[in-house]
Amino acid sequence: MLEIKHTLCPSCSVGCGINVILENNAVVGTFPYKRHPVNAGKNCANGRNSIGNFVNKINEASISQANVDLDKAFAEVSKEINANDKVTVFLSGNNSLADAEAIKSFSEEKNLDLVFYADDLRNFEDVASYDDVEDASCVLVIGDVLYENPLIGRRIVHAKQNGAKIFSNIKAEKSVTANISDETTSGSVQEFLDTYKDNLDDSSVVVFNTVDCEDDLDKIEELGFKILPVYSKTNTKGILSIADSNSKEEIIEALNDTKVLLIFNDDVVDDFDFDFKSISKVISFSAFKNNTTEISDIVIPIKSWLEYEGSVVNAMGETQTFVPVMESDVLSVEEVIEKIKG
Amino acid sequence: MSYVLAKSKDEEIHKAGECGGAVTSIFKYLLDEGLVDGVLALRPCDDVYDGVPTLITNSEDLIGTAGSYHCAPTMVGDLIQKYLIDKKIAVSVKPCDIRSIDELIKRHKINPDNLYTIGLNCGGTVSPVSGRKMIDLFYEANPDDVISEEIDKGQFIIELADGSEEAVKIHDLEEKGYGRRNNCQRCDVKIPRKANLACGNWGAEDGWTFIEINDEKGQELIDGAKKAGILETKSPSDAAVEGRSKVENIMIKMAKKNQDATYPSVNGIDDWSRCISCYACRDICPICWCYENCELNKSYFDEKDIPPSPIAFQGVRLSHMSFSCCDCGQCDDVCPMDIPVSLIFDKLQKKYCNRTGYVAGVSTDSKPPLYSPDKVEL
Ligand SMILES: Cc1cc2nc3c(=O)[nH]c(=O)nc-3n(C[C@H](O)[C@H](O)[C@H](O)COP(=O)(O)OP(=O)(O)OC[C@H]3O[C@@H](n4cnc5c(N)ncnc54)[C@H](O)[C@@H]3O)c2cc1C
Ligand code: SF4
Ligand code: SF4
Ligand code: SF4
Ligand code: SF4
Repeated sequence: MLEIKHTLCPSCSVGCGINVILENNAVVGTFPYKRHPVNAGKNCANGRNSIGNFVNKINEASISQANVDLDKAFAEVSKEINANDKVTVFLSGNNSLADAEAIKSFSEEKNLDLVFYADDLRNFEDVASYDDVEDASCVLVIGDVLYENPLIGRRIVHAKQNGAKIFSNIKAEKSVTANISDETTSGSVQEFLDTYKDNLDDSSVVVFNTVDCEDDLDKIEELGFKILPVYSKTNTKGILSIADSNSKEEIIEALNDTKVLLIFNDDVVDDFDFDFKSISKVISFSAFKNNTTEISDIVIPIKSWLEYEGSVVNAMGETQTFVPVMESDVLSVEEVIEKIKG
Repeated sequence: MSYVLAKSKDEEIHKAGECGGAVTSIFKYLLDEGLVDGVLALRPCDDVYDGVPTLITNSEDLIGTAGSYHCAPTMVGDLIQKYLIDKKIAVSVKPCDIRSIDELIKRHKINPDNLYTIGLNCGGTVSPVSGRKMIDLFYEANPDDVISEEIDKGQFIIELADGSEEAVKIHDLEEKGYGRRNNCQRCDVKIPRKANLACGNWGAEDGWTFIEINDEKGQELIDGAKKAGILETKSPSDAAVEGRSKVENIMIKMAKKNQDATYPSVNGIDDWSRCISCYACRDICPICWCYENCELNKSYFDEKDIPPSPIAFQGVRLSHMSFSCCDCGQCDDVCPMDIPVSLIFDKLQKKYCNRTGYVAGVSTDSKPPLYSPDKVEL
């Protein structure tokens, strides 16, 4: 039976709505969610392709890539956690608010090291809304936001159509963001901000999805104008109010020391210049097979984004909730944590 | 072709229906008699601005689909082709829906024997998000308080929970960039004559649906629903038929005027420079049915630049299907960069039509005259 159901895109922090097409409880396609206020039915390729993961759905636990009974896998995970004093927990921007709370309190209870990567950005209390971007008189853009976060990019296009000046800082030689900008620089973010800060007024917005270094974040904040940091993962903004973030360097340092690594709902092996195989036990909690589950010693299935209920905070700080659109017997992150607590 | 006025004999359906509840009644007849496996209609989800295609298999659920959703620019051609190909279904179709279905039938991608198509005349649809903004800006009302909306006599009318109505001239809204979608303003097929029936309020008396019976299958539907005791009909007056035809012609004239005003702007479009090659426009197009076999996916299509050269990228699609473009506007709706994609495709289809006489999804040719010398010239 064909059904079309509303949900949220799981592929970046913009928070676009997306409809999924289901046939007999299997996801077979996407359909525009035109009523959604964030994106009016428009989704980028990443968003539309997010259902592609379902061909790689994990339904069974495995140890050393061989399927095992779920309880056996839980027992093994508990044993590893209890037997080692260097256990690191990798919290991800893919986790919902409730999952992140559960992961954090579990780590505290068991005295485990919690790491959280937020794209080398950080939390900013007051952020601009997407409407602010549209209504801005001037937008400073750092990073190729049009290509990487198209549904915020679209708001920058609207700002331009409304007469705003657009200045961008992009390292790549060619980019769509540069194409709609009045001027583009490829030098440092600091130089860029110095050059264009005099164009800013109270209605201006600085939109960025990357910076060169941490000092840039201070400088952006010190400008005193509206800012909109855009993260690569759905709930990074929400989790930043729950846990502190770590830089890439800090995370690699922590990994160097780690004997057991628990990764909740993420594929991280290609994001860090680190040999994850050097860790004695990598334990992955994941709905889908990916490069991280591929190198993991233990893999525990968790509910996918279409199977559980939760809430996330999008880049502009708005809490968005989603409900399950598919039935599933797989356990949620919260349930899995209860099991491994023992 | 003949005309009837029809209304439901089921009180609940009559009340919930947009006009006479005839469409919902015919659907009920088809489901109750076991003539179809399901009915594909729209159901409001978040609110009245959110019409979502829904497959109904139990006629008791039809009541939740009755009414016209003017802020629901949906498309069903590809849904039927991809997911309902082997099902016997009845479906409500706007002109652009049936035109895409017709083009897919011509390509043997949909089996017409499996389909009952109940057409809805269409003056145009409004995008839900900009529709809500429009109500916020141009009406006294809060968009959340609107319980239904309609387009009538050149006005966009909203009805509120307390029964009051507010109306603003569509022309005034469109001048300010709101109102019907841009493609709808150009759309010159207002009555879906390729559907088995074409239903509307034009020419109808209050509480009745005006139906143009387009073919034998359509006549069977009316006769069957009457026999089942769910529909009653009467003949419309000559004045009603004439009045309806007059409004249709006025709407077509307005669309042509819009075409004349907008087609020349195609040449000056610099919007392609922000194309992110996301293929949303291709993937949503009901006429593009090649999917993985699309030429744009082939290894020899080596246009990997972002933005792609429009000649290489849209050129492939233009040459493959623009002659069958039914101006449904889905490509505009889904483009993350708000590029007016349909304007170019529609303009080219009109050019093709001027040379060959072929109107996409309307002409009776068994296929578009693909191989005519005229096409090569294009
Ligand atoms: C967007 C739109 C514009 C219209 N414009 C005109 C017009 O200018 N002139 C005119 O004569 N008639 C127009 N109509 C048709 C008219 O409003 C009635 O739908 C028609 O008269 C049938 O009335 P009814 O009471 O028999 O239908 P109902 O019994 O109320 O059934 C209507 C059926 O249409 C389905 N439906 C509702 N909205 C849509 C949609 N957006 N796309 C596809 N299916 C849908 C419903 O789910 C339901 O199954 C329009 C309809 C729509 C949806
Ligand atoms: S912009 Fe982000 S949230 Fe929106 S569709 Fe793309 S990946 Fe999904
Ligand atoms: S393209 Fe034509 S048929 Fe389709 S919704 Fe717009 S006006 Fe109606
Ligand atoms: S090109 Fe655009 S307007 Fe034309 S049929 Fe395809 S989606 Fe519809
Ligand atoms: S939908 Fe828009 S941005 Fe995406 S490929 Fe088509 S024209 Fe380009």
